[in-house]
Amino acid sequence: MSLVRMLAVGTWLHVKQLSRSPFEIATSILIPLVQATLAVYLFRASPQPQALLGAAVGAGLMGVWSSVLFGSGGAIQRHRWEGTLEVLMLAPRRPVLVILPFTIATAVTGTYSIVATLLWGRLLYGIRLTFADPLGFVAAVPVCILSLGMFGLLLASTFVLMRNANALANTLEYPIWLLSGMLIPITTLPGWTGPLAAVLPTTWGSRAVRAAATGGEVWGPLAVCLAISLVCLALGALALSYVERRARAAATLALA
Amino acid sequence: MTDSGIGVLGRGAELAIEAKGLRRVYRSRTGWLRPRRTQVEAVRGVDLTVRRGELFGLLGPNGAGKTTTIKMLNTLLIPTAGTARVCGFDVVRETMQVRRRIGYIFGGDRGLYDRLTALDNLRYFAELYGVPARDQRRRIGEVLELVGLTGRERERVEGYSRGMRQRLHIARGLLHSPELLFMDEPSIGVDPVGARELRATVANLAATGTTVLLTTHYMAEADELCDRIAVIVHGRIRALGTPAELRRHAEGRRVLEVEVYGVDDGHLAAIRRVPGVRECNVEERGPAQVLTVQSDAGRDVQPDMLRALSGLRLGRVEVREPTLEDAYVAIVSESSAPSSDVDQLETVGVAS
Amino acid sequence: MLRLIGVGGVIAYRALFNWTTPAMFIGTLLVGPVFQLVFFAFLGRQLAVGSDHFYIVGNAVLASSGACVFGGVMAVSNERRFGTLGPVLLSPRSRTAVFLGRALPYAANGLLIATTTLLGGVLVMGVPVPASALPGLLLAFTIGSVSCAFFGLALGAIGLRFRDVWLISNVAVALMLLLTGVNVPAAALPDWIRTVGSFVPITHAAEAARRLVAGGSLGDSVAPLAAELVVGVAYAGLAAVLLKIFEAESRRRASLDTL
Repeated sequence: MSLVRMLAVGTWLHVKQLSRSPFEIATSILIPLVQATLAVYLFRASPQPQALLGAAVGAGLMGVWSSVLFGSGGAIQRHRWEGTLEVLMLAPRRPVLVILPFTIATAVTGTYSIVATLLWGRLLYGIRLTFADPLGFVAAVPVCILSLGMFGLLLASTFVLMRNANALANTLEYPIWLLSGMLIPITTLPGWTGPLAAVLPTTWGSRAVRAAATGGEVWGPLAVCLAISLVCLALGALALSYVERRARAAATLALA
Repeated sequence: MTDSGIGVLGRGAELAIEAKGLRRVYRSRTGWLRPRRTQVEAVRGVDLTVRRGELFGLLGPNGAGKTTTIKMLNTLLIPTAGTARVCGFDVVRETMQVRRRIGYIFGGDRGLYDRLTALDNLRYFAELYGVPARDQRRRIGEVLELVGLTGRERERVEGYSRGMRQRLHIARGLLHSPELLFMDEPSIGVDPVGARELRATVANLAATGTTVLLTTHYMAEADELCDRIAVIVHGRIRALGTPAELRRHAEGRRVLEVEVYGVDDGHLAAIRRVPGVRECNVEERGPAQVLTVQSDAGRDVQPDMLRALSGLRLGRVEVREPTLEDAYVAIVSESSAPSSDVDQLETVGVAS
Repeated sequence: MLRLIGVGGVIAYRALFNWTTPAMFIGTLLVGPVFQLVFFAFLGRQLAVGSDHFYIVGNAVLASSGACVFGGVMAVSNERRFGTLGPVLLSPRSRTAVFLGRALPYAANGLLIATTTLLGGVLVMGVPVPASALPGLLLAFTIGSVSCAFFGLALGAIGLRFRDVWLISNVAVALMLLLTGVNVPAAALPDWIRTVGSFVPITHAAEAARRLVAGGSLGDSVAPLAAELVVGVAYAGLAAVLLKIFEAESRRRASLDTL
């Protein structure tokens, strides 16, 4: 119980800290709005009828991924720069419990994107916010957020293991949007991308959220998303413990 | 291993810190076109024992290995060689047990969440460091009171002065009532009044039974606070003892302070050649310089010295008894002198 | 004068970009734009909007925007951060020339990125571009990159006055996705976006590039290329004016190094 409390308090305070950064807020709202606008015009231009609600929801999910990718991917580096990494690591906790609240927080602040794109779609383009499965949507979004936060932990640990993690982070935005079919499932992708997409929690999470909005199976994909994310969490936890030990040996916890 | 009480196992150990032969090498790679590997041996074999309840000072010039030593003891760094036990637990393998019992406070203003309030910062670290939920409010109130931030806790840290941040650091380090507190130059960048309050806080902690390992540049701070002091130079402990014992390093010496204008390296070399002169250091003080010359007490070096400075404008000239600072200067420059026999020196100071 | 612009620019570029490792450069600047291109190309295929060529050449021209705009901003703002702005502004040479020169290495970098992005896009999408269009495409990339770098310089000049220049430039680069009409065919965009877009760098260069791959001669794309050049020169002028104004102002208020 005290563990849940610690994770909850940690997440809440990190959300607070992130939400007070004008840069974080503005980028997590403005850039998804640009993507949403782009999506609306592309969907309208399509000869096949498209559900515009999907454009708003999809652009919002893309924003969540950006937030997790840049926030969680750079979690270790950011704490190192701010000088907080050492005091976090000195807590008598497993490293995973110290970093997880932060990565979940980056996913939670990503919800600003979803809210922004939905409101934008409603106000500017008159997109009616009638969800195919309102209950499913209300359940799918938080589960998807939590899952992406756990996936973020795997990113946080692997990015720090690989040198030049930032270079990787900067390039992974579009490929994940594409492979996971966040805006719209892409059926024309080459066959070899199929298995890759199938192991990404983002694929199943966005499938569930989009289905709840525009129709389709919600709970199955949502369960798969959560299951894959739990595996990511376990792998991330192992990797982080290894990272911590290596950092103590190589003296990379502090900003040298 | 579970130990829910405050260090049931730890209490058994007589010593708060027990280090044998600690060494630490830093390896780094620079450049990407033609990578160069460099190795720096920051700590070269440190033996250290600190008793429970002791206030122990680690003194040394910049880059002497103070921070590295602290970070090996508080589990942030794995020693390249040697072993250390803190509160009876091994710092490499039993990190959780060690971390539960120690606090770490470092100087400077980093390491806090700037956009959160002081209260939120403390709440977060109270959770992380396992302060039970029902005790948190009381404990946070206590540490805020202790560092004098009561009433300012609902302000965001980004608006804090450097001194306030430093005090918040201390509050954070004390939240879980550690048995052993590592303080790495806590007074750096703190104004004189703040530094005095800080010394009072540290003295209070020690008085209530907390073991403190303190590193500092300020001799007065070490002299006033510490039960024992180790002087570390080039990664080795060169002297160890109570402030009174250390002062003996300058025993049999006399200190001459001369205010002078425009002294250069040539003058210094000439003074160092004067028979009986043991140390000579110069410090800028506004437009003037202050020469501090240590000499054998039985010898009057003043006439020779003034001759070496002939032609320069002189100010106040003062003769005084050596202080701890003079002893420290003597130890450090003995250890740094190229001619000195390092291994012999290493055994000189180990008094305790 | 030309030498001053060139050499000064190269040195500043290296000095201010020294945090960039090869992996950073390849990942962020070379691979990233190819992924962006591929994303929009597949989106277009899925929705049956626009041709592969439309997305490939459009995004190749746009690829330089990130490096050029951020580079231009950096050319001004980092000099202030590293405390070198004062000496530069106080040097007796023409300040405007010095600063415009700072943008040129970033433009050259942009040209490189646009070219590799085109290559990457062609390979991934499996759609070749007619060889006859290549010289014209290079010209379009060049003019687009220069125009973008001057746009960045103007944003950087604004940064002398306002602190959130990185926020502004991030949003500006994102907006270019929409406003340049590179990813949505012009016919599908509302008039106001097209109007605003015509004042944004890349829009006209992308139009020229599309005409070239559609089989048009260089003559067909002279008009949009000239328009792109006008946009670029206008931003260079704006940057110069802003720098002069803020310089005078900062001398008065001694705010040059107050970051």
